[in-house]
Amino acid sequence: MSELTTGASASIAALTREFETIAHNLANVSTVGYKRKSNAFSVSLDPQESYSPGTTDLDSLYDFSQGPMVETGRPLDFALYGKGFFSLETPEGPLYTRNGMFSRDQNGQIVDSVGRIVAGQSGPIAIPNNIADSQLYVSSDGTISAGNTVIGKFMLVDFADDESKLVPTGDSSYRMPDASIEPLEAERLVVKQKFQEASNVKIIEELVDMIFVTRLYQANMKSITAQQEATGSLMGVAMGL
Amino acid sequence: MLRAFSTAATGMTGQQTMVDVIANNLANVNTSGFKRSQLNFQDLLYVTLEEAGTEIASGINSPSGIEIGSGVRVASTVKVHSAGELQNTANPLDIAIAGEGFLQISLPNGDLRYTRDGSLQVNANRELVTATGYTLVPSITIPADSTVSIEKDGGVNITDATGNQSVVGTIQLARFANPSGLSSEGGNLLAETAASGTPTTGTAGDNGFGTIQSGFLEKSNVQMVTELVNLITAQRAYEINSKAITVGDEMLQTANSIVR
Repeated sequence: MSELTTGASASIAALTREFETIAHNLANVSTVGYKRKSNAFSVSLDPQESYSPGTTDLDSLYDFSQGPMVETGRPLDFALYGKGFFSLETPEGPLYTRNGMFSRDQNGQIVDSVGRIVAGQSGPIAIPNNIADSQLYVSSDGTISAGNTVIGKFMLVDFADDESKLVPTGDSSYRMPDASIEPLEAERLVVKQKFQEASNVKIIEELVDMIFVTRLYQANMKSITAQQEATGSLMGVAMGL
Repeated sequence: MLRAFSTAATGMTGQQTMVDVIANNLANVNTSGFKRSQLNFQDLLYVTLEEAGTEIASGINSPSGIEIGSGVRVASTVKVHSAGELQNTANPLDIAIAGEGFLQISLPNGDLRYTRDGSLQVNANRELVTATGYTLVPSITIPADSTVSIEKDGGVNITDATGNQSVVGTIQLARFANPSGLSSEGGNLLAETAASGTPTTGTAGDNGFGTIQSGFLEKSNVQMVTELVNLITAQRAYEINSKAITVGDEMLQTANSIVR
């Protein structure tokens, strides 16, 4: 195989992954609190060490930009505005999410939409049985109160620049990577009650990326075809055909 | 094969469910006491090709990993128990609950069910029943030849033919820790589940219970405009996911064209 073909096939593999990421973003265009993933292509420019053509380094990065705020009127829907996450308590350790569609479970504790306990500053937040959802008021710093009684406060965390190291676990949540990073107290974060943060996937951008990826893919395929033809005619000459 | 095909297919299935939910909300735009459902999507598991923080050279850790997601799933539908508009009907037996709480009714087999639909009637045994004929719990009997009025606290007063007033019973309300966890049984009926918790019964107006408004019906809390906007969004999202499949197909076609 020539270097050109090797380079092209490396690009094709990377482009295929990019395309899969776009498809995943598009599938999650309606997922509350979803953050789009972008693939960073960085062509290795290291000619001294070894010549490695093609796209070799492909990291998936999150685009943690703010999603649009959508009003729902449901007292247990919360949107986060700014940098940070809600914490969830699970048997496997803490998880972090920006999907604030919460409910009360049968014990009155606040849980997320798949039933994981939402962490408060001091353990799970239990709403007394005689307080209706419509009586709950949540201030912008995440303090939950009913009338004059404070019930609890959401544990809101921020990872600052380490945000991109979080590992997605599905179900709108992230876990900390094995490499140690520390959650900090969220400072630049506002909680909005009766709102949801919609997915930050922008259909137009994804479509443009999709066209871009397809064309690059086709171009790479073309170069393989061209290479093939060149080799073919070269062999033809050598064999005297 | 491209993973993107199945990823896009999950997106299409999800949006299809979204359209189903919206259709049901829209169909019930005139159902008294109906509460709209809201769909909740969650992203599916990720395939981690390279974890963030992997050592790529001595002393250098990759700042972010390679994770490819595999689409979306419908995590739950949540009933939004916000209040519907109150409609004046001037019928004293039509009641609306302003605030939290459900009317308790009993099925013929004795099981309890809960509803917000307060268009009450009097049946052949002169008991107060819902529009579908199920009796209230505790049951209230209205004597013949009397006019009925229902108080804010649920007290049922009657005035008989001679003008004497008396109280024949009180309508009790029930509430749940997690009303979204009730299961919808159709016919405006809700049933208790493990997720909803056990009901607390009480008098209207007390301790977080709403008050009873006689002469009103609670309309559906479905907002036509919101649903229609959601419908358009769902349709477009469906379309875009099908586009991803078409484009993926074209990519494979290009690959196939290498070998002629």
